Amino acid sequence: MARLEARGPPAVHVTQQEVRRLCEFLYRRTGMSFADNKRYYVDRRLAERIVATKSESFQSYFAILRSDVDHEIEHLVNAFTVNETYFYREEHQLRCMTSNLLDNVIRAKKPGESIRIWSIPCSTGEEPYSIAIWLMENWREVDSYNIEIVGSDIDTRALKAAADGVYGDRALARLSGDVIARYFQKVENNSYRIDPGLRDSIQFTRANLIDASEMALYHSFDIVFCRNLLIYFDDSSRRIAAENLYDCLHPSGYICLGHSETMSRISPLFRVCRFYDAIVYQKPEAGRDRE
Amino acid sequence: MPLIKRDAVTAPAAGDRPDDVASHIAALSGSDAQARWSAARALRGRADAIPALAAALRVEQEPHVREAIMTAIMRVGDEASVAVLLPYIRSQDAGERAAAIEALQALPEAILPFLPELFSDSDSDVRVLATELARNVPAADATHALCALLEREQHANVCAAAIDVLAEVGTRDAIPVLKACAERFAGTPFVPFAVSIAIARIPDS
Amino acid sequence: MTENNKGTAKIRILIVDDSWLVRLYYRDTLEKAGFEVEQAINGIEAMEKVLTQTYDLAIVDINMPRMDGISFVRSLRRSTPDVSSLPALMITTEAGQQDIVDARTAGANFYLVKPVSEAELLRHVAVLTGARR
Repeated sequence: MARLEARGPPAVHVTQQEVRRLCEFLYRRTGMSFADNKRYYVDRRLAERIVATKSESFQSYFAILRSDVDHEIEHLVNAFTVNETYFYREEHQLRCMTSNLLDNVIRAKKPGESIRIWSIPCSTGEEPYSIAIWLMENWREVDSYNIEIVGSDIDTRALKAAADGVYGDRALARLSGDVIARYFQKVENNSYRIDPGLRDSIQFTRANLIDASEMALYHSFDIVFCRNLLIYFDDSSRRIAAENLYDCLHPSGYICLGHSETMSRISPLFRVCRFYDAIVYQKPEAGRDRE
Repeated sequence: MPLIKRDAVTAPAAGDRPDDVASHIAALSGSDAQARWSAARALRGRADAIPALAAALRVEQEPHVREAIMTAIMRVGDEASVAVLLPYIRSQDAGERAAAIEALQALPEAILPFLPELFSDSDSDVRVLATELARNVPAADATHALCALLEREQHANVCAAAIDVLAEVGTRDAIPVLKACAERFAGTPFVPFAVSIAIARIPDS
Repeated sequence: MTENNKGTAKIRILIVDDSWLVRLYYRDTLEKAGFEVEQAINGIEAMEKVLTQTYDLAIVDINMPRMDGISFVRSLRRSTPDVSSLPALMITTEAGQQDIVDARTAGANFYLVKPVSEAELLRHVAVLTGARR
């Protein structure tokens, strides 16, 4: 019996030197680096993207990548990162928030002044809800302050899902049974709805981080979580976004980036701060610049 | 529950701050850094504000305001922007140079016509920084301009910088020039090494 | 310092330079000589590294995007004592007279003019790290 051979475009051959060229570009542009024993992942992802872009050679793919045609840098970087969002993702930053950042934030607060925390992009809401739950579960001082949490995203469908507050059990995998019981209601098999009181206390807004007029509405934040967004912007937009975030922060306010992101590829406006659980970035105090 | 929610996202209490170009330009030369910062941001991308932004840049001491002014100029994105930013790559202050290079790197199309002149500058440090500006232009243009530089360049550091960019973007057209450069600098530190790596990285086809 | 598998401490050097060919060149030279080497492409990444791990020496270029080498040394010297004591070897250009002055004021320990030969590099690294060769 004849076997049907799978047909497809002939695989593009990529040399090790070409992979090195790509890795060096990626490192320079994003800060991501790959030890030799991880090069295999690069080979695989590169092959995927060459096919996806219908490139006929590494050269033509690399040209697409370098000019970021159709956001190719984002596609390539996304291929390396786990994009699933879930509750208590990057828990070390939440720990840093309650172990260190908030102590510094409240030092400057006047009585009655709120603490303002911003999650942008908030996607389908796991991040702002996680912040809220974590604070209530872990911060000693949580009842001594008013806390405003705002979640913003450019994607209105994601925002609607966030406002609905219904999640599958995969998203809740990092939460203990107690936490789930306290803040969620099971709605059907493998679906949980977030407690309506909690849901209604988070403000969800549509916002574009590069739009100056939209960003003018946001100000005086103490902590901003801006994870896995800035690194995808082109040079020009990254500057604008960084300046907008700077403007939205209180002096001495903090910004947390994504796990494989670094301000070294984004902006010189912020000071690097090292805490036990995380590296975060700080807007200098009023009257002092970065150094 | 300690979480509170405002009814709506509200604008800052600054209220009736005037929003016309003239007011922003006036604020650019004020003594309040925060006001200068806001003014620079408000003038972002405005070609008619370039002279005022250029004047402000000349005297600005606060790094974050300088950054915002450069962004404002950069966002106009044309030859006028480049003309204002370019002199800062000659600054005696390393921070100013870094800021200018970064702003200019976002303007590959606008910078391209300036490259030949920059590559002929009498200051070797300027030629070095200019090679960095070639990095984001299309590979064929970058290769062409950098090869023209390498063919006549006598300064090892300039060659080194050009080779670094060619290692990323260079096409096979660059190989003869690279080899000739290695010969010219044979026996000196670094350049022969750099050429061998760069040639190895250039794809075969 | 970190232990290598013979139990003797390896001297750790951070190379701060945005040129990957230069980093490769220094890395090859230093690793062959038994040093452990890490890299950063600008002063911000270098700050992140020195705040997270210990090093025995930083080799620092001047012109880098977003945070130049002199600003990095300034930032370094303003850190807590365990970090601020890191020796910094600046790599300058012969035309960069003001840079040399500014680097010293910022707290750099020494400078070399590029292009740097392997021998020169190793000699100065030995002095600044107390490495015996």
